[in-house]
Amino acid sequence: MSTKNRGFFGERPLPTFEVDSQLLHRRTRRDLLLFGAGTMAALAGARSLLPHALRVALRIDDEVAESLYSPRRMVPTYTKSQITQLKNNYNGATPDPSYIPGWHVTLDGLASGLSVALDIRNLMTRFSIHEQITRLVCVEGWSAVAWWAGLRFDDLLRAYPPASQARWVRVESSVNLDSSGNPDPYYVSIDLATARHPQTLLATHLNGQPLTVEHGAPLRLMVPVKLGLKNVKAITGLTYVAQEPRDYWAERGYSHYDGI
Amino acid sequence: MKQPGVLVTRRHHLLVRWSHWLNVPIVLGLILSGISIYWASPIYQHKPDPITGNFDLAADIGIWICDHVPGLHRYSSPPDWVYNHMSLGPGMLAVALRLHWLCAYAFMLNGAVYVAGLIAGGGWRGLLPRRTDLFDALRMFRYYIGFPLAKLVRRQWPHPSSNTKYNALQRAAYFTIPIAGFLSVTTGWAIHKPMQFHSLAAIFGGFDATRVWHFWLMWVFILFVVPHVTLVFADRWDTLRGMITGSSARVMRPEVTADEH
Repeated sequence: MSTKNRGFFGERPLPTFEVDSQLLHRRTRRDLLLFGAGTMAALAGARSLLPHALRVALRIDDEVAESLYSPRRMVPTYTKSQITQLKNNYNGATPDPSYIPGWHVTLDGLASGLSVALDIRNLMTRFSIHEQITRLVCVEGWSAVAWWAGLRFDDLLRAYPPASQARWVRVESSVNLDSSGNPDPYYVSIDLATARHPQTLLATHLNGQPLTVEHGAPLRLMVPVKLGLKNVKAITGLTYVAQEPRDYWAERGYSHYDGI
Repeated sequence: MKQPGVLVTRRHHLLVRWSHWLNVPIVLGLILSGISIYWASPIYQHKPDPITGNFDLAADIGIWICDHVPGLHRYSSPPDWVYNHMSLGPGMLAVALRLHWLCAYAFMLNGAVYVAGLIAGGGWRGLLPRRTDLFDALRMFRYYIGFPLAKLVRRQWPHPSSNTKYNALQRAAYFTIPIAGFLSVTTGWAIHKPMQFHSLAAIFGGFDATRVWHFWLMWVFILFVVPHVTLVFADRWDTLRGMITGSSARVMRPEVTADEH
């Protein structure tokens, strides 16, 4: 290697020292012992600290998701030719459609102090219907581009304002079933800022047709800035609360906010 | 009586050594949790098998292994073999995601430590590719391929000479791995926050394509680690000591030809 013309990017010769061989021996032994001790300490520490570290990592990641959220940042929309198949990913059994004729959604925690029940005809006649083709992303990793139509959650919030101290909405489906077909009510937490996002819909239609039972007839949450598991099917209750409500999947080890 | 001094070189900055060893548990955690996450929705699927209902290529591989490897014929769940041996196991999505975030944040911090060490120690210059690298890499490749055969027939098989910190093949590997790390982080963010970072996913061809990138970047790490570890041990003590203590007794004298070993 020439010492001239090395330039900024040229490799420099490695620094060379003359060391007393006994000193080198001692230093090498010291470094090896430190390295071994460090490895053992890390292994011992990992056993006791890992559960705590995993919780902290999930918390940090939730905070990162929150800080990335902006009510003005829109999710990408697609054309009809980009629509893909959307599978029924009900966690348990798909409910029997017999609940649909008598269905209504109950609003609680309103500023009026009243409890309001709305059926699908109320919702579809009182509110303007918006369409969007967006991507639904599942925590499992798959995704689907689907054409949704429904009312804006924000419009419902304006028509029935929540109590002033409310920061969250508990979105619930009482018709959800577990895999053996037994009732297993489903509930998620959504912060009101996300509910007010212009692309957060209370969807009534998929691909131009009223929702089928597989996709949450007659009303499901369509919140594209959250993972699919927050997009509750067959919503039966919306409760506005001040404190973060319970969340079905957070209680099963997943993150709390699931912001994407 | 005073012993004669020995010449040593400083090969790796302290921060480079720290980040190197921290990467061992971090990357292992990322791969194990990553394969558990893969299990929840495999990229490589086929039409469900009419009898078993299986659609996952990784499960097919597990079934094949259990059919052909002696001693595994009675394995209780062949489709899970790959996941039971190369991940946290099937059905572990929640804990796998937590571990993946933990290791991913640690990996990013550790990457910053590595870059700081490369800058502080000037080691980054030794990683840059050179014009002669293609030819030199082929020479090194020939050396490695021929080495076991030469040993077998007890023939001399001299190591190609090099007067730089790394030979061309090492340089290619150590230059590629930080780039692969950077791309893993970038594709990871793109699929982790596909709405807020949708323009990032678009660079890699959209959400689904970015998952494929992220998956194959894992293989870059695996394909790097195997020869990396093998060759360090084959090279005896000095290279390993260099990464632990920072010092090496192999002193390059630029005016003389490099050491033979």
